[in-house]
Amino acid sequence: MSLRAEALAVWAVVLRNTLMGVRNLFFFFELLFWPVVGVLSIGLMTRFLGLTPEQSAFVLVGTIALSVVNVCQLEVAYAMLLDVWSKSVKHQFMAPIGVRHLTVGAWLVGIARGLVIFVLLAVLGRWAFGFALGAPGIAVVGAFLAGCFLTAWIVGVLVCALVTIFGTRAEAFAWASVNLVLVLAGIYYPVSVLPAPMALVAKAIPLTYFLDAYRAHLGFAPEFAAPVATGFALSAVYAVLAHWAFHAAVERARRTGLLLKMSE
Amino acid sequence: MSSPGAPPPPVATLAIDARDVAKTFRAGWLGRRRTPALQGVSLTVGRSVIFGLLGPNGAGKTTLLSILATLLVPDAGTATVLGLDVVRDANALRRRLNMASGRPSFLWSLRVAEIVAFYGRLYGLHGAALARRVDALVEQYELTAYRRTPYNELSTGLKQRVALAKALVNDPELLFLDEPTLGLDPDVSVRVRQHIADLRRERGMTIVLTTHYMREAEELCDEIAFIKDGRILARGTAADLKRQIRLGDVIALKLDPPRLPWLAEAPGVLRLEESDGWVACTVDDAEKRLPELLRAFHAEGVVVRNVQVREPELEEVFVELAR
Repeated sequence: MSLRAEALAVWAVVLRNTLMGVRNLFFFFELLFWPVVGVLSIGLMTRFLGLTPEQSAFVLVGTIALSVVNVCQLEVAYAMLLDVWSKSVKHQFMAPIGVRHLTVGAWLVGIARGLVIFVLLAVLGRWAFGFALGAPGIAVVGAFLAGCFLTAWIVGVLVCALVTIFGTRAEAFAWASVNLVLVLAGIYYPVSVLPAPMALVAKAIPLTYFLDAYRAHLGFAPEFAAPVATGFALSAVYAVLAHWAFHAAVERARRTGLLLKMSE
Repeated sequence: MSSPGAPPPPVATLAIDARDVAKTFRAGWLGRRRTPALQGVSLTVGRSVIFGLLGPNGAGKTTLLSILATLLVPDAGTATVLGLDVVRDANALRRRLNMASGRPSFLWSLRVAEIVAFYGRLYGLHGAALARRVDALVEQYELTAYRRTPYNELSTGLKQRVALAKALVNDPELLFLDEPTLGLDPDVSVRVRQHIADLRRERGMTIVLTTHYMREAEELCDEIAFIKDGRILARGTAADLKRQIRLGDVIALKLDPPRLPWLAEAPGVLRLEESDGWVACTVDDAEKRLPELLRAFHAEGVVVRNVQVREPELEEVFVELAR
């Protein structure tokens, strides 16, 4: 496939997901309501508990990361879910399109939505709680956001793989998956407070390292050496594995007939 | 197109060459419940023909179509389409195929023109060429008034037309049509059938279609295969099939007196049915038996007021095979 054809296929998915997004009120709700509610409620809780500005920032950056990851990973999951819901899976996979076009196209839309959320919550955090999200500098914020988007891509692609293997039964995982990140990646607390087995799992999640790196710039002692490099390295490994899993799931669905069943 | 008994056409002229294709679907715990869908199907289809797949529900038509369209991988056997292996060369093959289904489904919020454009981009169209293609297809399928209508607001017939427009967006060499006129108004069905015939005549497109409308198959298809229980039971032109099944010809008679007890026992008569004053006399060969019967009527002093001879309908062949 030529580079131009690759770009066109990705662009087709970008346009499709964008059009579906802007015409769906629920998507807007998802984009604005929950993230704003999350930051407001957590911010107010930090005020009630009388946390220091640094501690509040620690928790708020986790809340914002969770919202960004959630919105972006859902968009990636829509790469498959939109076709499952509309029963157009067979049309999709009869066309010369690879899973990479679907996931990258949906991811680009997810990044755009994630950036909107990030800016919105940064403004809200500053206005309501005096939290300067951009204070550590553009490079740090950039690496942090890249980490969030990579984590979202990995989780979203895995959701696509699960939906392709188990059909709509796996749909709930699209919404539940982010809660695993919530518990394990140290959204509201450092991973050192987790029980040892869970801490081990936390160390396998890229977002853990990106949060650690960002928080180090807020004055918290880093828990990991070279967290950004570790986060990117883990992300690269998981990205390849997730992509392979989705590809294998599609091939399996071609063998089992699930690809057709999901179109009935 | 190959006819029964004749050697298959040379490989280079084949659009489809499937050999011993088998597929079993597994369900239940550890896939223990097995449903054989295709049991060693071999099929050749020449280029630039319209080929019909007929059979009862669950016969294996859609499974075969899906394997040929690269949507399903066979358990055994080989299939080449347009000279490419459906498993090994699936990616290259997909650019040259397309499919429209009688139960189409597309993203609910996308508008008609957006759906066609989305698939056009997947097939490498862009810019002015894409816009021209979308406009042409929208116009061709009389969707101009609906080009900005979201898919979920369309009627069944309009959805069907969108599916056909989408299926032609890449100008495929081979088009699979799964019940293409299902749910369409009669006048639209006639135009769709005309358009299918035009696609083959003007562009040399090979078309493989499944249908439940026997008249559609008879009108459109150069050749027909009957599938049942995952096996091809018969194939050939509609006329070939009628001969193969030996359903006989029907001689419909209006007689005076209307009832003749000896007629059922006359040589070559297979069945007799009476309705509305007509006697439908199914014989083994109308050309041979009609003169004999007329002579017998004359000898018995029976007046023949009207006589019609017809071949069996394809539907009768279908019923016989599906039995």
